[in-house]
Amino acid sequence: MKIGIPRGLYFYVYYPLWNGFFTSLGHELVLSMPTNKEILNTGVANAVDDICISVKVYHGHVKYLLDKKDVDYVFVPRIVSEDKYKYTCPKLAAMPDLIKSAFRKDEKKLLSVVMYMNQGRKALHEAFSEVGKKIGENDNGKIKKALKAGIELQNKATQCLRKGHNFLEVVGNMQNLDKLLEKPVKKKRYTVALAGFPYDVYDGYMNGDVIKRLQETNMRVVTTDMLDPKVYKHYTKYMIKDLFWHQANVAAKGGMYYMDSKDIDGVVTISSFNCGISAIYEKLLDLYSKETGKPLMHIVVDEQTGDAGLVTRIEAFLDLIRVKRGDGLVAS
Amino acid sequence: MHRKITYTFPRMGYSYAAFESFFKILGYDVMVPDPSNSKTLKEGVSNSPEGMCFPFKILLGQFAKLLKENPDRYFKIVSLESYGPCRFGYYSPLYNKILKDMGVTNFEVVNVEGIYPPWYKGIPRFVKKLVKLVGWHAPWTGIKAFVIAGWKVYAIEQLERKLYHLIPREKVSGSSEKAFNRAFERIHRAPNRIKSIKKILKEEIEKMDQIDRVENVDIPKVGLVGEAYMLMDYSNNLEIEKKLAYMGIDVDRSLWVTNWTLDRILKTKQHLKHMEEVNKGYLDFFIGGDGQESIMNTILYKKKGFEGVIQVLPFGCLPETVAKQILSNVSEDYDIPVLSLSFDEQTGEAGFVTRLEAFVDMLKSRREIESKESKAKKAESITAH
Repeated sequence: MKIGIPRGLYFYVYYPLWNGFFTSLGHELVLSMPTNKEILNTGVANAVDDICISVKVYHGHVKYLLDKKDVDYVFVPRIVSEDKYKYTCPKLAAMPDLIKSAFRKDEKKLLSVVMYMNQGRKALHEAFSEVGKKIGENDNGKIKKALKAGIELQNKATQCLRKGHNFLEVVGNMQNLDKLLEKPVKKKRYTVALAGFPYDVYDGYMNGDVIKRLQETNMRVVTTDMLDPKVYKHYTKYMIKDLFWHQANVAAKGGMYYMDSKDIDGVVTISSFNCGISAIYEKLLDLYSKETGKPLMHIVVDEQTGDAGLVTRIEAFLDLIRVKRGDGLVAS
Repeated sequence: MHRKITYTFPRMGYSYAAFESFFKILGYDVMVPDPSNSKTLKEGVSNSPEGMCFPFKILLGQFAKLLKENPDRYFKIVSLESYGPCRFGYYSPLYNKILKDMGVTNFEVVNVEGIYPPWYKGIPRFVKKLVKLVGWHAPWTGIKAFVIAGWKVYAIEQLERKLYHLIPREKVSGSSEKAFNRAFERIHRAPNRIKSIKKILKEEIEKMDQIDRVENVDIPKVGLVGEAYMLMDYSNNLEIEKKLAYMGIDVDRSLWVTNWTLDRILKTKQHLKHMEEVNKGYLDFFIGGDGQESIMNTILYKKKGFEGVIQVLPFGCLPETVAKQILSNVSEDYDIPVLSLSFDEQTGEAGFVTRLEAFVDMLKSRREIESKESKAKKAESITAH
């Protein structure tokens, strides 16, 4: 059976898990193309107008897979929680309902399941056995085995992230993660931290290839999902109260951690327009950067984002960092 | 320097009168923020994060004005909130941080949160916050304050319902609004006894009943659904209810303070049953805020025979945008027109009125078409016989 996985939202977090699960059950995975103009436009046309751009793009990816004739199912999970007492944004928790309402004709092709990532192996097993039933796999032992393979792969991916490889590299080397784990991370003169949700940070088309652009200008890019949650636990005190949403917590606390650490030259936040949650963590980072004095830049992406303006801003940010280090402006 | 401690709370619709008396019974000074105007709105908008929800910007502006105007007082800002998917749960830390960043220091935010897990931490935290809110009082004083405030809320809501029922039917335009304003003032200043509140309510309702009106008119019915604060606060939704009523519409609001409290906090059986029954296939998952309620109430309105529904939402509200997308399907399946109005700081009155008028015209023309069709059907059945 061919199962389509949209390249959007939680693809950038849990893809190794899904990959491990479905492939070890013997199914073929079909990924949608990396975001392009066509996908963006279909997404914008099919979603409600004042929802955030990431969700619109996700609509586009789902539509792309639904239109492919050889794809039997499209996997649209409802991920409710990610950590203890930390949940996802309401839009993401309502994802299958939104997709269902947008593409009513293809409702039967959608493979959706409620997932609680925080409640341990047992809840995950229940969720995945539900998925298994829908695609005609009733053997409990097989599902257990497949889930184990999935979790193993996810753990390996997490190790790679902790080592400093970004998620795009993980997706590229899905089959040989061990090799990636051994590969050393190159050190560069400047290091810039990207704070934001993985699906905003890694979607190259949406954010004008920020990662690539920064890397081209001799900077090492680190992201907030590379951090071990243990290192930034203590920032709850500054925030007064934990945020309800896991990814926002990671972005806010991770951003603060990077602002405090010495080898990071600047922090860039990436968020999508009208994403309500990033408004909160951006404000927190704003206030924190006033205290620490670390350069901070907000990039907000929407469907109208032009490349030229972004390039100018990145160059200006680079100049700021260079001047702060005492290296002077770029010669060219 | 000793400064007087004064309580203040978010102003919402007419219910502020009840909350005011709650703190007065407990023996505190209390000040209600003025309704928002362009100046407070500007202050709120320029200081809060750009993508933050509109109610936050409104309230921040109102509080900032109040705090700056009374530097000799020390304010306790009461914020009733929860820990949930809606951004409402993070209002108080942001008030705290942003107001301090603005250079205002004469305040403290008291956030009374609902109980959220882990339970062993949640319950003591709730009790602690409650004590911080009402202070050390004899328990009966607290209970009395709750009961009186509850009665006042109830009385005001009864008056409001009466008002919106009367406006489209009155003979002299404005007469019922005049009566309502007087009645509201009386309830506002009522002594803190249940008996007297009841008496005033009865008298005023009787007085309002005596207003000259056109009887037995058949007017279109419109239901209002959406986000609780925007729906209930008349000063920020540009008095949508009154405007619709003056256009000759029987308007009904789905959320009131009383039924909100009953349904959300006490979770009545009827509400849960409706939720399960009606939302099936549309949005059968809790996403916080009033998203699910909006869909549920739209369907319930159709079943009750309403002709149209208006969804009121602040721009970028997380649960309501989800509901907005799904409501388009509900509207198609149940054949009921739904108009989604999202409010933000740019909303102008003129454009808003035009959209309302267009919606009302559409409802009226739908009626005509339907009556023509039914007449044609009747004629057909007669000729067939």
